[in-house]
Amino acid sequence: MPRRPRMRSRHLNSFLSTQQTVLHTLFSLHPKSLVLSPFLSLITRYALLITIFFLLSVRPALAHGYLLRSIPDDYAVLERAPARLQYWFSEPLEPDFSSLTVRDQAGHRLASGGPSPDNPSLLTARLPRGLPDGAYIVDMRLAFASDGHVVAQSRVFFVGVAVGGVSGQAASDQANALEALWRTLTLASTLLLFGLFTLYAGVLLPAWGSPAYRAGSLPPRVMRRLSAVIAVSIVVALLGNVLALLQQAMVFFNADIAQVISGQLWSAVRVGTRFGDLWNARIVLLGLVATAYGLSLYFRDEQPETVRPFWTASAWAMALLLATFSVGSHAAGSLLWPWIGILVDWLHILAVGFWAGGLGGLTLVLPPALAPLAGDAKRLALLAALRRFSRVAVACVVLVVSTGLYSALNWLYTPADLTGTTYGGALVVKLLLVAGLLLVGLAHHLALRPERYRRWTTAFNPLIQRIQSFIPTLHLEAALVILVLASVGNLSATPVPTPPFAQQSIPPPSAAQPMGDLTVTMTITPGGPGVNTYDTLVTRGGQPVDGLDVRLQIAHPARDKRGGWLTAEDADSGLYVAAGAEIDRDGVWWSLADITLPDGATRRAAFAWTITPDAAIIQSRPPNLLNLLALLVVVGAVGWLLVPSARRVYHRLDLSPAAVTVAVGAVVATVIFTVLGVVLIQSTQAQYDATLNPPPAVVNTVLPDEASLQRGLSLYTKACAGWDSASLDNLLQPRSRDETLFAAVGDHCSGLTDAQRWDVVNYLRTMKS
Amino acid sequence: MFSPVILAHGALGPWDELIFLGVSVIFLTMMGISWVRSRTNPPLDPPTASSTAYADTPDHYRLD
Repeated sequence: MPRRPRMRSRHLNSFLSTQQTVLHTLFSLHPKSLVLSPFLSLITRYALLITIFFLLSVRPALAHGYLLRSIPDDYAVLERAPARLQYWFSEPLEPDFSSLTVRDQAGHRLASGGPSPDNPSLLTARLPRGLPDGAYIVDMRLAFASDGHVVAQSRVFFVGVAVGGVSGQAASDQANALEALWRTLTLASTLLLFGLFTLYAGVLLPAWGSPAYRAGSLPPRVMRRLSAVIAVSIVVALLGNVLALLQQAMVFFNADIAQVISGQLWSAVRVGTRFGDLWNARIVLLGLVATAYGLSLYFRDEQPETVRPFWTASAWAMALLLATFSVGSHAAGSLLWPWIGILVDWLHILAVGFWAGGLGGLTLVLPPALAPLAGDAKRLALLAALRRFSRVAVACVVLVVSTGLYSALNWLYTPADLTGTTYGGALVVKLLLVAGLLLVGLAHHLALRPERYRRWTTAFNPLIQRIQSFIPTLHLEAALVILVLASVGNLSATPVPTPPFAQQSIPPPSAAQPMGDLTVTMTITPGGPGVNTYDTLVTRGGQPVDGLDVRLQIAHPARDKRGGWLTAEDADSGLYVAAGAEIDRDGVWWSLADITLPDGATRRAAFAWTITPDAAIIQSRPPNLLNLLALLVVVGAVGWLLVPSARRVYHRLDLSPAAVTVAVGAVVATVIFTVLGVVLIQSTQAQYDATLNPPPAVVNTVLPDEASLQRGLSLYTKACAGWDSASLDNLLQPRSRDETLFAAVGDHCSGLTDAQRWDVVNYLRTMKS
Repeated sequence: MFSPVILAHGALGPWDELIFLGVSVIFLTMMGISWVRSRTNPPLDPPTASSTAYADTPDHYRLD
């Protein structure tokens, strides 16, 4: 039976054809023809590398940040319009480029707002008074500070009843192909630069270095090739960064490139945003490297021995430059130890830079280096470089895997995230490609040291024999590196999974209390430890009551601690708004509202709240066991990498008894003084807190509401008649504690139970409030 | 008047600028140390050694 031919779509055929042509052009030449290739110039080959990387990684980059909590919820149906809208995000927003606009369903603009001055992760807006029933659309323009991505997003809430046919707009990123281009150019060129400088200092000099060549210690043909690649990479990196600034200004200002240039909008982005900070740092470091490179060219003939120092030193500047990518990566928005996340990401990118950038540099340098050689000489020269490179590459692989593991566990909360989210899918693709790269690298490592792995490699001898020529498999490895880099670009542009605790719908605590013919309703949002807004709604017979003076006090009875009195702002429609960070932990809290009526009478509404941490806006999270284990693996990998250096340092140490005694003594003293310092600081802080607010011996158990105040007044009049006003005035100071008043009431009033004494204390509190 | 800013202005916490500057200082210092050491250190290959002897070393080959 004849086999049915495999069907392919026209698109797939076209895509495969293109890819095969490009890959064939670059990598599938015969080894000898490639090594001595006169056909592909350096520029062409470099451009092809970039083009492939670009083709593989072009996609709209998405913002890293996500919404943690919103008040009101999307599509919430509210009885009345809230006084303000609040949206908490996982990362800080750029204050000048983030905004919020509220419109009604007819499109009329009603209010606008922006990031809170106190909390750049909170987008907030005040709503106008008396919004009628209907649908309201909240248009948000979010410019995330860490990655500079701008997201347009709409949300909806209803007042009264839900209205059909009104919907928000899902998050859409305004990033474009230009962003993918500059990210590709800058990442590829800086990784290649770092790889080249470290390859030169750590591989090529030890493998091929010779005093016969004063300028750089390598033959002129090799130095020429290295120099050309460095020059092209610096130019490409500068070009990429210029594009980055222009594109970022286009996105921030929603302008075209002509407006960005003519209006110098790029300048505002450069000096006024976090993206601009990182851009400045990157350009300064790139300028430093370019200067060092320029000086090495300038002094090449007159002082050739300076070439090597300039190139070696540049590796450090490039390592620092790569850190700017980490500071603007996913890691910066990590809820778990952001600085450790950035450090681990930096280690990851450094290892990738040496490995991938070094491999790229090696493939570009090998052809001219080996061109004049033949036979065994060629093979020995190749082996000398590969052995050196392979040794460091193994260390880099260990670092890449361990740091990659930590970073992945930083974002994946459940196993389902790996298969059920875009980020998980992108990570799986990257892992598969890295696995292929590791296999090729392992084969190279085995083939380079057949004597060491003879026992293990018997079964693979035919394969090892085929690899012995190295050049074809080196190009396979380089091709895989490009694919891995593309997958890295893809992963870094993919939003991380939203943690399960984000966007949990916990309604803010709310309670109502009658106060004569009035009803007082208080709502605390979000209602957890942290900054909260206290909304007090006063109604009479269902109608809002305006023109009142409302003051609020938040108290934590368990610690006998009362905050200062807050004056609530009259937001109309019977709503009075105040905000503060008084609630700093979970437990039972009181909120007291003293409401002064138009006739001058003051009435009290008091509420007891059980505050739970669930309602707080979670902007950090504790590590789980897997996070700790992954961090341990990273520390172990770094320690393993440092063993050779540590051993070298150890051999240089003066281990005489006197020196060892002094060193041990100094270390022990340092540890002791450090521990003592930490303990002293902590105990001083604890003493300060205890002095300022000691735990009370007795806790006020009676909520100071209107009824308690009335009882307290009556009891004070009857049982405390002999209390002189002078001593009472001394007691009623702003910092007076309930327990002090409780004891004083016991001294000056007779025949009261504990509950009655607390009623008197609550009443006395009103005398000075 | 704007002054050029090279710091990640406090987005990661109160100490981030200090840490960022500290890391920069450390790396630029290492850059200087590398420059001085590379300048003063003798070449990797002893000038007295013959190229043939070094050509036999598996980890080193002079591309003469």
